[in-house]
Amino acid sequence: MGSYLYRLYRGFQGEILAVPGRVIALIFVTLLFLLPHIIPHPLVLKIFSLAALFAIFAASWDFLSGFTGQLNLGHALFFGVSAYSAALLNVHLGVPPWATIPIGAIAGVIAGLLVGIPALRLRGFYLALVTLAFPIILIGVIFVFPDITGGELGLFGVDRLSGSRVLDYYIILLVATASILVMWKLTDGRSKIVRTGVILHAIREDEITARASGINTVRYKLMVFSISGFFAGVAGGLYAHYIRIAGPSILELFFSFQPIIWTIFGGIVTIYGAVAGVFILYPLVELVRLHPVGEIYRIVLMVLILIVVLLFMPQGITRWVRDHIEEICPRCKLINIRTRRYCRACRAPLRAEK
Amino acid sequence: MYLEIKDLTVLYDRAMVLNGVSLTVGKGEFVSLVGPNGAGKTTLLRAIAGLVKWEKDTLKGTRAGRITLEGSVKFDGEEVTNLPAHEIARRGLILCPERGRPFREMTVLDNLRAGAFGCKDKKVVSRNLERVYHLFPRLKEREKQISGTLSGGERFMLTIGRAMMSQPKLFMIDEPSVGLAPKVKEDLFARVKEIYEQGSTILMTEQDVSFAFDLAGRNYVISKGHLVGEGTAKDLLADESLRKTYLGL
Repeated sequence: MGSYLYRLYRGFQGEILAVPGRVIALIFVTLLFLLPHIIPHPLVLKIFSLAALFAIFAASWDFLSGFTGQLNLGHALFFGVSAYSAALLNVHLGVPPWATIPIGAIAGVIAGLLVGIPALRLRGFYLALVTLAFPIILIGVIFVFPDITGGELGLFGVDRLSGSRVLDYYIILLVATASILVMWKLTDGRSKIVRTGVILHAIREDEITARASGINTVRYKLMVFSISGFFAGVAGGLYAHYIRIAGPSILELFFSFQPIIWTIFGGIVTIYGAVAGVFILYPLVELVRLHPVGEIYRIVLMVLILIVVLLFMPQGITRWVRDHIEEICPRCKLINIRTRRYCRACRAPLRAEK
Repeated sequence: MYLEIKDLTVLYDRAMVLNGVSLTVGKGEFVSLVGPNGAGKTTLLRAIAGLVKWEKDTLKGTRAGRITLEGSVKFDGEEVTNLPAHEIARRGLILCPERGRPFREMTVLDNLRAGAFGCKDKKVVSRNLERVYHLFPRLKEREKQISGTLSGGERFMLTIGRAMMSQPKLFMIDEPSVGLAPKVKEDLFARVKEIYEQGSTILMTEQDVSFAFDLAGRNYVISKGHLVGEGTAKDLLADESLRKTYLGL
């Protein structure tokens, strides 16, 4: 028993404590879980609940467009389909949230497959254009049936997630942490458990070679679309029950671009970059909004921050930070803290010696 | 000296690609640079052409942008180390990149015209075009063809032709023989020789040592970022250890 605990501790030390990026992530998640006790202000809770929810959304975009290279400019479709399914079931049939959110996620999967089929034949800009059209079509459909869908005003009176704001926050945070961990693991090229990370990377780089290597790219692309749709759907369902309304604004163009902005700001093809982007940009913009002047200039401010950050950190904020605190050992590929001169495992020199 | 390189050092992150390389090319000289895969031949030419600096500038702030570039490059009595790549090309130091890299979706003629971008005088351009077509009649036949559909040999002709259109003072040819059949290779090297005899200065990297040594007046042998030998083919081949280790002859 003692030796097992010791091994567990050593594993924790080697996998997390020795990797500065993961230490930061651990501290950050811990702080998020303690947030209701540190700042029990309802507005702060609301902002961070929504940020956690959007983090799933942005990460699912990164999973699809970043990792697999299927440029999706209509990611709001998955979010919206799920939010509307959850709201419709809840308002009209009285289905409780614990059932509507999974059903909404499944609606997201179906939407993902639907978009995935044209994606098998289209690439790059052409695919982007098609995906751009899907949410707009859905808005049209919603406007056609205002009695059922609420039309332009949206569907009101969706049940709350739970009884209290704090509980809502914890539910969203737990789901977000789990979803993001799953996506991160699925895309981790070094993982010994799943090999999807390597496969998705291969598809992104060169589909012809991937096929020639025996990877069924059709299956994997559809899988990626449905997984991405699933997680975006989870976020959408949570959103409908948290905000208690499902309106057409969540299908608008800007809503599709938001995850892209967050992800590119944080660092594309990382998953954690998408999360960091949301948790930096979203609260910032929302806080600025409180001030009457900020309300007017918030978009300008966001865009200015974006331009300045990307000018100095072209691959996003997390990658820049990572490159300044971590160093990959040239011999064993283990991640080391940048202050080390020799690799912690194999003692290979980490810097060039002249 | 026409082209003078002093202590050129290039590091990609931690990987030392060039380690204090110094070499010279005189006016009207044909110099070859031979060495095994990964010796730094291509990087050396890219560094001279200003492409490493360009890469460094555009990738600034990313992991791939951690490039160290030291040393100096002098061309025609002028310091070109810190000039941007297009300025260097305009001064007549032209690089023919590996595998030709034609503008794939443009026709052969458009490719050649793109080479003449720096030249404003229309008469000079058409005269250069005549020269290229004279040297490579094949290109004239394929004038209207999309260059992505050219064969390997034709693609090489196109690259050389494109370089000739920019009125080069010094050709830098990177691995011309990559992926070519021996017969085609022979023919093309004869053309390169022709260009040289018309009074051009050439710096060429090559893996096929026997061809390179046949053509070049002076040779450099590079390995793992160091220059390990210099001299005429005869001198280099006389050195037993050099010949066995690096030249495989």
